[in-house]
Amino acid sequence: MGRIGLSVLIVAAGFLYLPLVVLTVFSFNDSALMAFPLSGFTLEWYRELAQNDNFLKGFVTSFLIAQPVGILAMLFGLMASLALTAPGFRWRGLFAILLLVPFLVPKSVLSIAQAMIMSRVGFERGATALILAQSLVALPFATALISAVMVRFDRRLIEAARDLGASPWQAFLRVLLPQIRPALSGAYSVGVILSLADLTIAMFLAGRTQPLSLMVASEFRRELRPDLNAMQVVVLALTAALVGISELYRRRRLRKLAAEA
Amino acid sequence: MTFRQRHLALPVAVAIVAGCLAPLAVLVAFSFYEVEDFDLIPAFSFRAWGELATSATDWFLIGKAVLSGVTTTVFTALLGYPVALALTRLATSAKGLAIIVLLTPLYTGEIVRIYAWRIVLGGEGLVNTVLQGLGLIDEPLKFLLFSPFTIGLVLTYNNLPFMVLAIWVSAEMVDRRLIEAARDLGARPVDAFFRVIFPLTTPGLAAGSLTVFALSAGEMLTPSLLGGTSGATAMALVDNLFGTAFDWPLASALALALLATLFLVASAMAGLLLRLKGARAVIGRT
Repeated sequence: MGRIGLSVLIVAAGFLYLPLVVLTVFSFNDSALMAFPLSGFTLEWYRELAQNDNFLKGFVTSFLIAQPVGILAMLFGLMASLALTAPGFRWRGLFAILLLVPFLVPKSVLSIAQAMIMSRVGFERGATALILAQSLVALPFATALISAVMVRFDRRLIEAARDLGASPWQAFLRVLLPQIRPALSGAYSVGVILSLADLTIAMFLAGRTQPLSLMVASEFRRELRPDLNAMQVVVLALTAALVGISELYRRRRLRKLAAEA
Repeated sequence: MTFRQRHLALPVAVAIVAGCLAPLAVLVAFSFYEVEDFDLIPAFSFRAWGELATSATDWFLIGKAVLSGVTTTVFTALLGYPVALALTRLATSAKGLAIIVLLTPLYTGEIVRIYAWRIVLGGEGLVNTVLQGLGLIDEPLKFLLFSPFTIGLVLTYNNLPFMVLAIWVSAEMVDRRLIEAARDLGARPVDAFFRVIFPLTTPGLAAGSLTVFALSAGEMLTPSLLGGTSGATAMALVDNLFGTAFDWPLASALALALLATLFLVASAMAGLLLRLKGARAVIGRT
């Protein structure tokens, strides 16, 4: 690895992490003004945050919405991947294009169209609508993750299991599932993460539900506040923890699979 | 008929048709409806489309969305190539870590990123303070925040990881020996890039461009929260027509016109990139 390559990577990482580092630094800065020079270290903003009931409610709401999104993205991604890799599936090309639709249509257009159709048929906007719409947006990502692993899977293993008397369901549970479990947990995390990160869909479909992102957005239009900084850092840390845990889990599974092989 | 694995496509297809295609189809229907006393009345009226066709503002905003998507694509590609090529040189063990480093910023919420940039670029933000500290400027640079510059910068930031990832995957598949052969035969690094690496990575560039364009052209939050007076977007106007003005036919027509324009530009862009010699060599000599 040359010196030029290394400096390119360092500059790129600096660019990608600069805003996040600045955000973190100011969440510990002992001043209500978001300005340099720094004034000293404080945990005051985190204390204020912990006492703010609204934010805590928003946290819980976002978390409760993100869980079903992760599960739905994983289940539908699994079904889509199984279909995509099924032998003799004539509509594979068309189905693959269909799967790209939620990814290629801008989220804003999609959510506004969904909001319109829902108000016409009398489907109330709120948590359910939000969960369904976010799952749909997460579906292409989940499918890509799962099918990337599944195309490398040797179908003959399934056939062998079937020949030895396993039902299709048993073959799936005992042969395929252990192999794709890391990908499934990845798909679940992507659903959760995309849901936590989303603001656009929530703006149109949340109704009276108030996830954290929506709350921050309305505060943010008015002013910058240090306790908002602290909250963003907490959200960031939680997301990073989620990424870290699922990555560790994935690696452990892979090691275990390698050891078994 | 017994159950087959491929039948699992059905529930997924139904979900996408009901959740994506049906709403878009309804948008088409609504664009021909009429509005009376804040009520949407089924009709076959060209009022909305006529209004859209003659509105200079609407077409200006649609053009702006295309421009914003194309600019973001170009910037991410220019920045993405050196990063992606540097990544291919990493040791295999470091690559797993590099993926996490690259993707983690994507996991932060849209609002977190927007918020963080406000602190970096503001009048008393990081950039201005450092530049003033170095004595390079006397007054804070005003154009950093709430300007077209801000929108371009943040959209590039938001989408760079997607572009890097797409080019990187493509570049990993280039046979290193081809580059060495070119160098041995006397090609300078620049020539080796333009005559060997670039042509062979155009499929990745095309995939990255499509992704970045789709994600950035329809974006309305970054412009509206960081663009200041230049932050008007077609989607914000659609939102306004939908929510405040209750002109659903016009909102539908505008959203559809935007979608169709973006689709045309994206197909043209992907088609152009894939027609290059290298892409044909990679994808298959049919």
